[in-house]
Amino acid sequence: MNQNNHDYVKKPLPPKFGTYGLGFAALGLILSILALVADPVRASFDSLIVFVFLIGMGMCSLFLIGLEYLTGAVWSVPFRRIAEYLVPLVFIAPIFAIPVFFNFSHVFQWANPEYLTLHKTVMAKTAFLNPQFFYIRITAIIVLVGLFSIVIIRNSAKQDNNSDQNLTKKNIRLSAGLMPIFGLGITLIGIDWIMSLEPLWFSTIFGVYYFAGSLLTAFAAITLIAIKLKSFGALPSWITKDHFYNLGAFLFAFINFWAYIAFSQFMLIWYANLPEETFWFLSRTQGSWLYISIGIIFIKFIIPYAGLLSQPSKSNINRLKYVGWWIIFAQFFDLYWLIMPTFSKSGAVFSWTELGFPLLGLGLVMILFKYSYTKRNLIPIGDPKLKRAMDFHL
Amino acid sequence: MENKKLHSVVGLFSTPDSIIHAAEKTIEKGYKHYDINTPYPVHGMDSAMKLKPSTMGYFALAFGLTGTAVALSFMYWVFNIAYPLNIGGKPNFPLPALIPITFELTVLFAAIGTVLSLLFVFFKMPDNSNPLHDTDYIKHCTSDMFGLCIEAEDKLFSEAEVKDFLAGLGATNIESIYYPKINTLPIFTKNFIIFLLCSAIVVSGAVYFVTNKLMFMTPYNWMLNQDRINAQAPSDFFKDGFGMRDAVEGTVPRDFIPEEFKASPDSAGTFLINPLEMTDAVLAKGEAKFKTFCSPCHGNYAKGDSRLRGLFPNPPTLHSKKVRNWPDGRIYHVITFGQNVMPSYAKQLSRDERWAVINYVRSLQRAFNPKEEDFNESK
Amino acid sequence: MQTDYTVETSVVEGNPSFKQIDELIGAPLETLPNRNFLIAISITASMLLTGAIALGFSLYYGIGMWGNNNPVGWGFDIVNFVFWVGIGHAGTLISAILFLFRQKWRTGIARFAEGMTIFAVMTAGLFPALHTGRPWLDHYLIPHPNDHSLWVNFTSPLLWDVFAVSTYFIVSAIFWYVGLIPDFANLRDRTKNKIKKIVYTITSFGWRGSNRHWQNYEMVYLILAGFATPLVLSVHTIVSFDFAVSIIPGWHTTIFPPYFVAGAVFSGFAMVQNCLILLRKVFHYEHIITLDTLEKMNKIIIVTGSMVGYAYAMEFFIAWYSGNSAEAFTFVNRAFGDYAWAYWIMVSCNVIFPQLFWIKKLRRSIPVMLVIGILVNVGMWFERFVITVTSLSRDFLPSSWAYYKPTLVDGGLLIGSFGLFFTLLLIFTKTMPVVSIAEIKAVLPGAQPTHHKAESNNGK
Repeated sequence: MNQNNHDYVKKPLPPKFGTYGLGFAALGLILSILALVADPVRASFDSLIVFVFLIGMGMCSLFLIGLEYLTGAVWSVPFRRIAEYLVPLVFIAPIFAIPVFFNFSHVFQWANPEYLTLHKTVMAKTAFLNPQFFYIRITAIIVLVGLFSIVIIRNSAKQDNNSDQNLTKKNIRLSAGLMPIFGLGITLIGIDWIMSLEPLWFSTIFGVYYFAGSLLTAFAAITLIAIKLKSFGALPSWITKDHFYNLGAFLFAFINFWAYIAFSQFMLIWYANLPEETFWFLSRTQGSWLYISIGIIFIKFIIPYAGLLSQPSKSNINRLKYVGWWIIFAQFFDLYWLIMPTFSKSGAVFSWTELGFPLLGLGLVMILFKYSYTKRNLIPIGDPKLKRAMDFHL
Repeated sequence: MENKKLHSVVGLFSTPDSIIHAAEKTIEKGYKHYDINTPYPVHGMDSAMKLKPSTMGYFALAFGLTGTAVALSFMYWVFNIAYPLNIGGKPNFPLPALIPITFELTVLFAAIGTVLSLLFVFFKMPDNSNPLHDTDYIKHCTSDMFGLCIEAEDKLFSEAEVKDFLAGLGATNIESIYYPKINTLPIFTKNFIIFLLCSAIVVSGAVYFVTNKLMFMTPYNWMLNQDRINAQAPSDFFKDGFGMRDAVEGTVPRDFIPEEFKASPDSAGTFLINPLEMTDAVLAKGEAKFKTFCSPCHGNYAKGDSRLRGLFPNPPTLHSKKVRNWPDGRIYHVITFGQNVMPSYAKQLSRDERWAVINYVRSLQRAFNPKEEDFNESK
Repeated sequence: MQTDYTVETSVVEGNPSFKQIDELIGAPLETLPNRNFLIAISITASMLLTGAIALGFSLYYGIGMWGNNNPVGWGFDIVNFVFWVGIGHAGTLISAILFLFRQKWRTGIARFAEGMTIFAVMTAGLFPALHTGRPWLDHYLIPHPNDHSLWVNFTSPLLWDVFAVSTYFIVSAIFWYVGLIPDFANLRDRTKNKIKKIVYTITSFGWRGSNRHWQNYEMVYLILAGFATPLVLSVHTIVSFDFAVSIIPGWHTTIFPPYFVAGAVFSGFAMVQNCLILLRKVFHYEHIITLDTLEKMNKIIIVTGSMVGYAYAMEFFIAWYSGNSAEAFTFVNRAFGDYAWAYWIMVSCNVIFPQLFWIKKLRRSIPVMLVIGILVNVGMWFERFVITVTSLSRDFLPSSWAYYKPTLVDGGLLIGSFGLFFTLLLIFTKTMPVVSIAEIKAVLPGAQPTHHKAESNNGK
C-alpha cells in the first residue's frame, strides 16, 4: 500500500515563465522606486495594499492546507502543492511593509503625536496602538505562522520519498495547533494594518471580513495556477472535471461567504446609524469614492456570483480562469477601497504610481513559484490519500 | 387473465454493476420505453442510460427570480404607493433593510416551486395507478434489488424476445406485468357527497363561531372592556365631572409667542397687519376654519343667524358697516381675546388660521356688499 | 490504533445487507411501544403539560404573568426563542451543508437531525407568537389586505424574523419530506398492515424508484440543499439582527451575524449529539450511527465553540477599543455585575469545557461527550440570557435600571418547550424512519458500481 500508483512525470515550466517573472519584478521595482520618489506617502499606501494582499493570500493558503489535513479532504490532495508554493508569501510580503515602515506616522495617524492630542479617544487606545507593540505583533504572527508552515511543508515534502503515513498524522496535529494562531493572526493583521488606518473607527467583524477576502483570493490563485499548469500539461491526466468542479464550487461558496460578511457589516452600521461608525462608510461616498463603493458590490459579488452560478460553469475551465483573474482583481479593488480613502479623502486617485507594487508582487509570486516548483514535486506522490484522490468522482 | 393488456416485462438484478451493464445493453438494443427501478440512486446510471442532464436548475432559477421580483415590487408598492410612511428617517425604499425579506422569499418561492413542479409536473405524481405497483418486482426494487422494466409501448417490443434478452443479461424473477382492471372513480357516490356536506357545515360553523363569538369572550375581549374614559364623556373621577382635561394652568406650547395688545383693541387695529394674501388657498383654509369654529354662532354667511337654534345668544351680523370698516387687526383682536360673550379662539386657531378666517370674512362681506366694479368684472 | 489514510473508512460498520437495513430501520415502526418508551413519553408529556398550564396562565391573564419589567422587555420568551431556533440549525447544517460538502458520515444522522430542526423551529415559533401578548391577532404579522389598510413594517428585524422563521420551517419541512418519499415507498412495499399501506401509499405519491425520477430527484435535492444552506445562515443572521440593528450597548456589534450562526450550530450539534447517543443505544443503531460519526460531531462542536469564544473575545476587545463608555461598561457589567453568575456559566460551558474535546480519548468517550453536550446547551441558553437581559437591565438611563427575575410561569414555559420538543421527537421515532433508508443503502460498501475496473483490480 505504500507505493501510490500514479502517472506523474514532472514537467518543467516553460522557460518564458521565469523570464516574465523577472521582467515583471524588474519593471515593478523600477516603477515602485519612481513612485516612492514621486510621492512617498502615496506609494506607502500602495505598498500597504500589496502587503495585506500577499500576506493574506499566503496565510490563507496555509489555512487551506491545514483544512485539508483536518477534514481529511481527498479531492484537494493534487492541488495541495500549489497552496504550499504560495505559503512562503508570508515571508516575502514583509518586503512591501518596508515603505510603510519609513512613512509610518504618515500612514498610521495614531502614530502621529499631533493627531493624538486632537483625538482623546484614540489617545486611550495607545496601549494597543503603539508602534512597538504593533511591530511585535506582526513579527510574532509571521514567525509563528512561518514556523508552522515550514514544518508542515517539510513533512509533506518528506512524504514524497518515504510515503510515511505518520507524517500525515503529524501534519494533522500541527494543523490543529495552527488554527487558533492563524485565526488570531489574520484578525490582528486586519485590525492593525487596515482598520487602524482610521483609528476612530471600529467593527468587530473586521477580522472576519479580511479573512473572507483573503481566503477567496488564495482559493482563486490556486484555481488559476491549477488551470495554468493544466494548460501546458503539467497536471496529470487523472485530474478531471470533477476535481475542478470542487474548486469552482468552493470559489462560489467563498464569494457568498465574503458577500455575507460584507453585507452584515454594512447593514448593521447603516441601520443603527451611529455617527461614530457611519463616518467610515460616509467617507467612502465622497466624490468618486461613491462609484468605487457601488462598484464593490458588482465587482466582488454580483459578477463573479453570476459567473459561477450554474452547475456546469463550476467545472468550465475557461469560466474558472476568468473568474479567478477577476477575483484577484476584485480583491485589489476591495483593498484599494479599504485603504486608499485614508490617503485621498476627496476622491479616488489612480495613476501609474499604483501599478508598480502590484507588478512587483506579481513578479515575485512568479519567481517564488518557479523556485518552489523546481524544488519540489507538483503532486504529493507519497501522500496516502493520493490514490483516493485519483479515484475521486462526484 | 389472457385478455388483459400487457404493460411490460420486468427482471431483477442483484448487483449495481449488473444493472449498469443491463442499462447499457438495453440502450444498445435500441429500446426506448424502458426504465430502471432502484432502491437508491446508483452512481453512473444516468450516463449508462444516456439521460439528458436534469433541467430542474432552470426551474429553481426561474422560481427564485420570481420570488425576488414579487418581494421587491410588493414592498415598493406598500412603502411608496399603498401607504407611504417614513420609518426611522430612512428612504421610502430602503434597499438594505429589504434584502432579508427579499432573500427569504426568493428561497421560499424557489423551494416550493421546484419541489411542486418536480413531484406534480415532472413525475406526474401522485401516481398510484401504475401497473408496477403491488408487484413482487417493485417490492424488490424499493428494497434490495435493481429492476429493469421494458414496456410494451416500445416499437421493438415482443414479449418472448424481451424475456430472452433479460435472461441473457442474467436477470432473475422475469415476469410480465399487466394493466389492472380499471374501476370508475367513486366521486359521485352518496357517501362522498354527504361527507362533503358535513365538512362544509363543520368548517363554516367553526369559522362563524371563531370570528363572531369566540373573539368576544374572555379573555379575548379584555381589550374591548377597559377602564377608560371616552372623549366628551363625563367622569366622576375628577371634581369638575369632566372626562376630558384641560392643560394645566400656565402651560405654554413649545413655539409659544405671547399675544400683544391684550386690553387695547384699537391699537391692535392700528398696528397689526394681515400677513396673508387673498389667494384661493388662504380662502379655502379660512372657509374651513370659519365653518368649523365661527359658523355655529355667526351663521354660515356671517349674518348672525346662529345655527344653535337659540341655545346661545346670537351675535350681531358681521356685515354691519362697523365691522366692515374695522381694520383686520381689530377683528384679529376679537378672535384672539374674545369680546362680550365670545370666548378667545386662540387655542383653537393658530395665528395664520386666524388671519385666513379674517380674509374669508372679508370675502363674505364683499359678497354681500359688492362694489360697482365687481359687477363690471364679472361680465 | 494507526489510522490508514489510504482507504476510505466506511460510514456503516459490519457490512449489513439491504434487507437487514430495511428491517433494522423499519423495526421501531412495526413494533408496539415498549415500557421504556412509555416511561420516556410520560415524562416529556408531563413537561408539556406543565408548559400548557403556564401557557394557559399567560393567555388568560396576559403576559404580565411573566417576569419582564420595564427596561427588560425581552426575557425568557426571546431567550427561549433564540435558543430553540439555534437548536434547529444543526439539523440543516447536517442535512444540507454536509451534503454539499459530500460528507458521507452525515447519512446516518441527517434524517433524525432534520426532524429535530423541524420540531425545534416549531417550539421556537411559539415564543415570539406568545410574546405579542395577543397571539390570536398574530395574523397581522403576515401582510394581507385588511380593513385598516395596515401593512407590516418591512424594515423591522422582528418582521424579518417572521419571514425567516416561517420560510425556514417550510423549506425544512419540504426538504425533509422530499427525503422521506423513497422511504415511504419502501415501507409501503414492506408493510402487511392495511391501514399503514393506505397511509404510505398516499404519502409516497406512488414512488417507484425509477432512475428517470432519481436523476431529477437528486438534482432537486442538491438544489434544495443549495438553498437551505444560505437559508440556515440567514435565519440566525436575522435573529442576530433583532439585537444588532438596535443601538443598545452589547447588542449593536457587527460580528453578531456569524457569531450567532456559529453559536446556533454549536448548541444544535450538542443537542443532536445527545439525542443520537440515546437513539443509537435504544434502537441498536451503533453500526449506522458510529462512534466515528459522533467524534466528527464533537470536532464540529469544538470548532464552533472556538468561533463563539473568538466572538466573545472580539466583542470584549472592541468594547474597549471603540472608546465608547456605554459599550465598555456593558461588558464589564456582564462579567462583574449583577448577572456575573450567568456570564461565567456561559463562558465556562461554551468556551472552557468543550476544549476537553481536543483530547482524542475524551472525544470518543460516550459519557464524557454526553456531559459536555449538556453543558454546551446550558451554556448556550445562558449566552442568550446574558445577551438579552444584561444589556436591557443596564441601558442608557441609570434611573430606569432594573433587575430581571423570571416568574414561575416563565419557568413553566421553558420546561414546556422542552416537553413539546421531546414529545414530538419521541413520536417521530415511532412513526417515521429516523435514518434515511435509501441514503444509507447508497453508502453501504459495495452499493455503488465500481467506476474504474482496471484500477480497482490492482487496488484491492
